[in-house]
Amino acid sequence: MFKPRNLIRLVLFVAFALLALGAVPESWRPWRVLLPGLSPLLNLGGAVATFTFGMLTPFALPLLVLPFFKGRFFCWRLCPMGFAAELVSRLNTRGAGLVRSVPFVGKGLALVLLGSAAAGCPVLIWTDPLCLFNGFFAAWRAPFAWGSCVTAIGFVLVLLASLAVPNVWCHRLCPLGGLEEMLAQLANRLRAPRLAAQGPAAPLERVKASRRVFLGFAVGGLAGLAYGKVKSAAAKAVAFIRPPGAAGKNFNALCSRCGNCMKACPYGLIVPDFGVTGLDGLFTPVLKFRSQNESQEQFCFQECTACTQVCPSGAIRFLSKADKQQTAIGLARVDKKTCIAWEKGENCVVCQEFCPYQAIIEVDHNNVNCPIVDEAKCRGCGACESQCPALPIAIVVEGRNPQPVLSDPSPQLSTNSRPASPRLNVES
Amino acid sequence: MKSVKRRSFLKTTASAAAASALPLGAQEPAAAPAATVVVVHGKDLAKMLAAGIAKLGGWDAFIKPGMKVAIKPNVAWSSAPDKGGNTHPDLVKACVLAAEANGASKITLPENTCHDEKSTFKVSGVEEALKGTKARLYRPAKEDYLQVDVPKGKVVKSAGVPKDILECDCLINLPVAKHHSGATLTLSMKNWMGSIANENRRAWHRDGLHQCIADFSTRIRPKLVIIDASRIMLTKGPQGPGDLAFPDEIILSTDPVAADAYAATLFKKEPFDIGYIKLAHEMGVGCGDLKKVKIERVEV
Repeated sequence: MFKPRNLIRLVLFVAFALLALGAVPESWRPWRVLLPGLSPLLNLGGAVATFTFGMLTPFALPLLVLPFFKGRFFCWRLCPMGFAAELVSRLNTRGAGLVRSVPFVGKGLALVLLGSAAAGCPVLIWTDPLCLFNGFFAAWRAPFAWGSCVTAIGFVLVLLASLAVPNVWCHRLCPLGGLEEMLAQLANRLRAPRLAAQGPAAPLERVKASRRVFLGFAVGGLAGLAYGKVKSAAAKAVAFIRPPGAAGKNFNALCSRCGNCMKACPYGLIVPDFGVTGLDGLFTPVLKFRSQNESQEQFCFQECTACTQVCPSGAIRFLSKADKQQTAIGLARVDKKTCIAWEKGENCVVCQEFCPYQAIIEVDHNNVNCPIVDEAKCRGCGACESQCPALPIAIVVEGRNPQPVLSDPSPQLSTNSRPASPRLNVES
Repeated sequence: MKSVKRRSFLKTTASAAAASALPLGAQEPAAAPAATVVVVHGKDLAKMLAAGIAKLGGWDAFIKPGMKVAIKPNVAWSSAPDKGGNTHPDLVKACVLAAEANGASKITLPENTCHDEKSTFKVSGVEEALKGTKARLYRPAKEDYLQVDVPKGKVVKSAGVPKDILECDCLINLPVAKHHSGATLTLSMKNWMGSIANENRRAWHRDGLHQCIADFSTRIRPKLVIIDASRIMLTKGPQGPGDLAFPDEIILSTDPVAADAYAATLFKKEPFDIGYIKLAHEMGVGCGDLKKVKIERVEV
């Protein structure tokens, strides 16, 4: 009953679940990008759409090559989403044959996805099974928050579908499964060209098949183009803040909702959006400073690049610490009507204290140091907002999309040598 | 601090103050000094500390075997030692080793960092410096705080303070001297803002920093103040990086106000121009009038 191959699947399932949960040693955590990164739909789709190829890109190759030799080996033997879907499918013993009446939607999904990615704006990228799996396990955090667990929905829906119609996900709906299936078919055809040419019906079938593939791509490409156009027409200055390194164009399309960036943020700043970024931006990551509790470092810490290391689809590109410190995710604004210094005339400027980029200029106002924001230096990290003691908060960050790269050198990166300042010798 | 200790301490200070004030009058140059500040100049922080403490009567005067010692360094920012944003790790280490050598039963360094504590403790070099010692450097969690009353406070009536600071036998304040945009300078009394609970920290900014700092100093009284002025940040404080000067000094005293008053002069400031020094002086926390303070200089 319990075969060794199932043991492998179980081990993989548990391993990837723990990785997505973050229940691994800290130095392993960036590897949470591995599982969704294996999917060519996420990885290559994102890379093609943004035309950025990086260290992660080669991880898409195994699933492109494997079907040529082993068919859908990944689906049946390795995929953790498939493992869960199969187990659930077994619960429904009466629906055994139902799946045959369902068309292979997954193939179409894969073609549309890749076609639109080639057009620069991938649609339906969030249907990828590895992203759904990852999104489920990345959703849980302590303390529990309803808002953050929405990325778990996809996984649950897949299991429900599998319960209603056994194996419907793996055999019919899964876009990654569709891609694997098509690649396996292509391999068969390449391997036995003469066999296929023997029967009179075979060439016709091949033409039909290539037509379908072309059609899928074309529909995807058009959808991608149209979507990109509509988005850029509707684009307006909305103040939501994206994680550093977020793509300025088509972010909502690129984001797979795998939950990695939200889970990776050590300060719990990144939360799923509920409509601020547009209907198509549902559950995409946005930053909220000082959200749940009073913990101090509820701002985008200058030394942290955790969220930029774990995005499988290129929606958030990898940033070095230096790159991160030059990227402005937002811009702070002082409300002089509530500011303690401006309004009450008290010495405060906590915003200046905490600003890692020395972007708060102090101006003298009735002998009190009052803050204004230097737009050329502000990175929108939210240190000021998270610490502002005024009620209501007098300095608030508005997001900048696309995120400009500032030329002002980050003071945090300066290497301090002993400057030749005059020695102060003061007699008391 | 145990209450018995505090009471006995208050008694001695009160009697000392009375003794110095009564017979001769404050203006008399021959009067006994209201406080002593030891200023050690040199390069090697460990040797400087040893020399300064010797001048104050040796570690035995502060730490006896079995005592619980709490040290409050200023390790608030994820900033390297050469930038002057934090107390120098060598000085923190020397202090901890001295406490160990004098038989301290427990050494704690509670520090409510401004930056991520992991990064702060690492980048500041203090974590590394304390490796192999029994000292515990940590950022207090909510449950590590106790709410205490500040009976003499004019604005601050109560504050959340780490238990280890309240329940120790010997409290050492070990700040770095630096510029501060809100409070003009960070010195020893300002350093307590790195101990108190976050909600107090916020409230103090709303209610007027200087009075709040002075108020709190009436309640939490260190046995010993050691100010790191080996390098001082003159601008862009408290986080920096800013312009530095290098007095190469450490300042030791049992009187926080006197120590702060002297340290202020390193920045070419009149002590009473710093709000909290003036207020603390007026509230009787210590003596900020350097004319009445005996300054002993030691060269290492």
